[in-house]
Amino acid sequence: MAFVQNFPFFSIILSLFSGPLSSILGGKAAKRLNIAVISMIGIMSCAVLSFTISSGESYVYMMGHFPAPWGNEIRVGVLEASMAVFFCVIMLLCMLGGERERLAEIEPEKQNLYYIMVNLLLSSLLALIYTNDLFTAYVFVEINTISACGLIMIKQNGRNIEAATRYMIMSLLGSGLLLLGICFLYDLTGHLLMSNIKEQVQLLNESGDYHIPLLVSLSLMSVGLAIKSALYPFHAWLPDAYGYSTLSSAAILSSLVSKGYIFLLVKIFYRVVGFDIVRDSKVINVLFVFGVAGMIMGSVSAIKENNIRRMIAYSSVAQIGYIYMGFGLGTTAGVIASIYHIVSHAATKSLLFVAASGITEASGDSTDFFDLTGAGYRNKLAGVAFTVGSLSMVGFPMFAGFISKILFAQAAVESLHKVLPTLIALALSTILNAVYFMKTVIRIYTPEKKSVAAQKGHTMIRIMDNPVKSAALVCFILLNLILGLCSEPIVRLFQNGLNMFT
Amino acid sequence: MSSWILLPVFLPMAAGICLLASSFRAHLGGSGDATGDRSRLHSFTAAVLVISAVLALGAAWSGEKSVTLFYLMENIPVYFKIDALGRLFVTFVSIVWVAAGVYSFVYMQHEGEEKRFFGFYLVVYGVLVGLVFSGNLVTMYLFYELMTLTSVPLVLHNGSRESIMAALKYLFYSMCGAYLGLFGIFFLYQYCDTITFTAGGSLNMELARGNQGILLIAVFAMLIGFGAKAGMFPLHAWLPAAHPVAPSPASAVLSGVIVKGGVLAIVRVVYYMVGADFLRGTWVQTVWMMLSLLTVFMGSLLAFREPVFKKRLAYSTVSQISYVLFGLSVLTPTGMTGALMHTVFHSFIKSALFLTAGIFIFECGKTRVEELSGIGKRMPKTLWCYTFVSLALIGIPPTSGFVSKWYLAQGALESDTGVFGWLGPVVLLVSALLTAGYLLPVTMKGFFPGSNVKVTEEKEEQDAAKVREPALLMLVPLAVLAALAVLLGVFPNPLADYLRDLAAALM
Amino acid sequence: MNLANLLNNYEEAVAMILFGIGFSNLLLQKNLIKKIIGLNIMDTAMYLFLALKGYIEGRRAPIVVDGVQSVEAYINPIPSGLVLTGIVVSVSVSALMLSLTIRLYRRYHTLDLDQITTQLKKEGL
Repeated sequence: MAFVQNFPFFSIILSLFSGPLSSILGGKAAKRLNIAVISMIGIMSCAVLSFTISSGESYVYMMGHFPAPWGNEIRVGVLEASMAVFFCVIMLLCMLGGERERLAEIEPEKQNLYYIMVNLLLSSLLALIYTNDLFTAYVFVEINTISACGLIMIKQNGRNIEAATRYMIMSLLGSGLLLLGICFLYDLTGHLLMSNIKEQVQLLNESGDYHIPLLVSLSLMSVGLAIKSALYPFHAWLPDAYGYSTLSSAAILSSLVSKGYIFLLVKIFYRVVGFDIVRDSKVINVLFVFGVAGMIMGSVSAIKENNIRRMIAYSSVAQIGYIYMGFGLGTTAGVIASIYHIVSHAATKSLLFVAASGITEASGDSTDFFDLTGAGYRNKLAGVAFTVGSLSMVGFPMFAGFISKILFAQAAVESLHKVLPTLIALALSTILNAVYFMKTVIRIYTPEKKSVAAQKGHTMIRIMDNPVKSAALVCFILLNLILGLCSEPIVRLFQNGLNMFT
Repeated sequence: MSSWILLPVFLPMAAGICLLASSFRAHLGGSGDATGDRSRLHSFTAAVLVISAVLALGAAWSGEKSVTLFYLMENIPVYFKIDALGRLFVTFVSIVWVAAGVYSFVYMQHEGEEKRFFGFYLVVYGVLVGLVFSGNLVTMYLFYELMTLTSVPLVLHNGSRESIMAALKYLFYSMCGAYLGLFGIFFLYQYCDTITFTAGGSLNMELARGNQGILLIAVFAMLIGFGAKAGMFPLHAWLPAAHPVAPSPASAVLSGVIVKGGVLAIVRVVYYMVGADFLRGTWVQTVWMMLSLLTVFMGSLLAFREPVFKKRLAYSTVSQISYVLFGLSVLTPTGMTGALMHTVFHSFIKSALFLTAGIFIFECGKTRVEELSGIGKRMPKTLWCYTFVSLALIGIPPTSGFVSKWYLAQGALESDTGVFGWLGPVVLLVSALLTAGYLLPVTMKGFFPGSNVKVTEEKEEQDAAKVREPALLMLVPLAVLAALAVLLGVFPNPLADYLRDLAAALM
Repeated sequence: MNLANLLNNYEEAVAMILFGIGFSNLLLQKNLIKKIIGLNIMDTAMYLFLALKGYIEGRRAPIVVDGVQSVEAYINPIPSGLVLTGIVVSVSVSALMLSLTIRLYRRYHTLDLDQITTQLKKEGL
């Protein structure tokens, strides 16, 4: 066994233990530890990724001394490793981008608490990516929820606490359903390890026994995770939670936390139940309908919104809709498109949040749409970055969003009955996206009259005023361009990964 | 090694971006050495513009070349190829672009923010060359979107509320259109052998059989979508909103060149992807002809009733581009020849008209038609140019408009499209009358103001009596375009032969 | 037959009913404390369900007493382990929810979530 193969386990444990360690450190030290841990895990994940690519197959890592049916397992393939690398990169950039806001908005003595939450969040995300055990997945889903809640409520005002409470309530409903689904599955198959469950499920499917309980369990798990990742009708908590929390929280929540749950759902589809059974069930049709509805309704809500942060948050609802629509297509191409969209949306949405904060910063900290007039001139880099993010969201060629749209469309053409609704929804939602994003871009590039500008407390922000954030923004833009221009190897990577996945 | 053909695409884009990022403005605003900085800005812009135009023409006329830049996705390269159609487009685009560029050196002094204008002006030129050189559907879509996006700053140049609303409208219509186009691309991608443009179409008949219905819907969506840029009926409303607020040279290129991007896209889709045979006799052709004729008539009528000069010209563009679309929709070689010819002529004519309108605004601040009476006394040369291009647009022989309209009518009569065979020419004729009705009054009132004006505006009358022509840099481009518009009508044969070969290869 | 099935498995049926009660309380109650009680009912229903799955008629808890090491003597220990894990999770979640509730109550002097939202909207304007 190669030493590299230990790395997934190391990275989970490393981030898990750096959490409690942060509690005895001061704010600054905790921050340094956090950055170091994320980068280290990123590097380790890269090593794991290159190992799995070269070995060409996924491997199982036994936790403790008990073999398969009893013990706990980690399973690592190309898809898992690349997700881990990607999550680390995004998280690192989010943390760097929101550094100054954290200092300003979090009480000094609570600074280190924030890093506990971030470390725990990272470890739970990694565990969700790697684990091969359903119950472990459940436990880490809860850890993820708790730490995400901590990220929201760290800014101690009434609005954030209320947002955190609503977030907790919805999440708990979701995890209750997930747990019920897992228990049903355990009841049916007698296993908790994903691969063993799948064997039994295949047997059950062939014999035709317990068909309905199987369906119920699948739909419970899907709905549970859909609630947690804010699929359309369950999204009420999202705009407040993303809109008012501190910058790095908003960016991390929107780009990573919901994606962790979605990745778990992919895992359940492919590795626990088997995708052919999922496809034959009607569950994916439900996901498809809700996804399409989310694509439209999320954008409509975003158009109505005058607060730029909440507007971006509503746009997440639409983008999550895209991802579920991809699952709903019921083809592997659809799932690939969804996975690509997970990545491209994560890169774009966090970019938008960070850029939006740069823009509001230059407009006297006002998030109101009309106060942003001319902000693109006051903070040039943020203006450019916001434009890039908007274009990517709108699906402009050369940026990440365009590729995922093409992938969705190609996948849609493969599935006979869903071609038209998918393409129409894609076109409609793209136009709606264009409405509010382009409106904002033009607004920030409309010169403000000089007399008004003086009253509003606008400030010029140069690139070197906040070098860390600027660097993060530049990295985000590059990431977007890479995803938009060199998508081919990445898509192939995901395809290989998904083949290994099952 | 033919990758140097990318140079005219990326050189102006890079130069424009450098200009935008540079700190020219800081000096321009100051009182100090403003003129020196301005001339430096102008010479830089002119140099880049001329060099890239020469490069573009050189690239276009030195034989067939193709280059693959990189792969966007598997099977989807960003791919450039120069063919006969591209050669045609790049030639007139470059002429108009350089002419309007020279004109704007003087004109933009009163609009301010020259650096931004010239920066985007250069970028859009690069994008347009890229659009024309695009060798496949996705590359074209990429540059089409870029064209929309980079031309928005030209529209909202003065930053007023109306111009922003107009720019939003322009952006919204163009994007709606582009996504309808994209919607079609997704389908064509599935049913075509290749997304590279192939003369005569690359539709795979095996795959298409049984799916004609949905393919026709896709093609129709693309027609409507790309037709938005060309101002075709349901999505035409952005044109009259965007033109009056943009600075005149910007309206000139918007009307003369950028709407032709829509025409180019439609030609590419219909003749290079789907193939004319597939559409012939289908409901798509019928609806397309109906829409274009409707737009021809409606545009003229609206122009006739419009008092604001630039808005009148904008409605006229709506009408004239639909001549082109009608010529394309009859799906005969002659119709196509006429359509492409009209594309070229209209591009010269309409730019010249907008440049005239710009001179009126620049010199006397007059925007409404009734204010223009007596202008001929003051600027006779300008008004003569205006008169010549007006005659060309109406289609009085021997000017250029006559030739292209002749081909258009011929094409319609040749085609076996039933009622449209004669209805088309009739509508074209009526619309030509209307064109005369909305363009010529300016000339008549300009030279012969009549008596009532003298009484009311005595002082202005005294002013207007003096001959004061605009600066040479504004007059020369106008004269060049006007001369082209007339001369190409006197000697149409080289162009007509070229276009006939082009059209014959496609059908 | 279905009814007989239901009666034979009445324990599971009870667990599901409890789950439903807890779920709807968590979803529909306005009072935060009642919501938390709902959460706990829901979780407890799950433990009941899991414990039922592990129970084997006539056997004892899986703790070695009096040196009896035969596997036959004990019930399935894994569900019990899961129940324990679940309890840990549910305790921490309840604690977090309670702390949030306390904070909200201190600030707004009410436990009704909708009222709090209305007050927040007033504050915002």
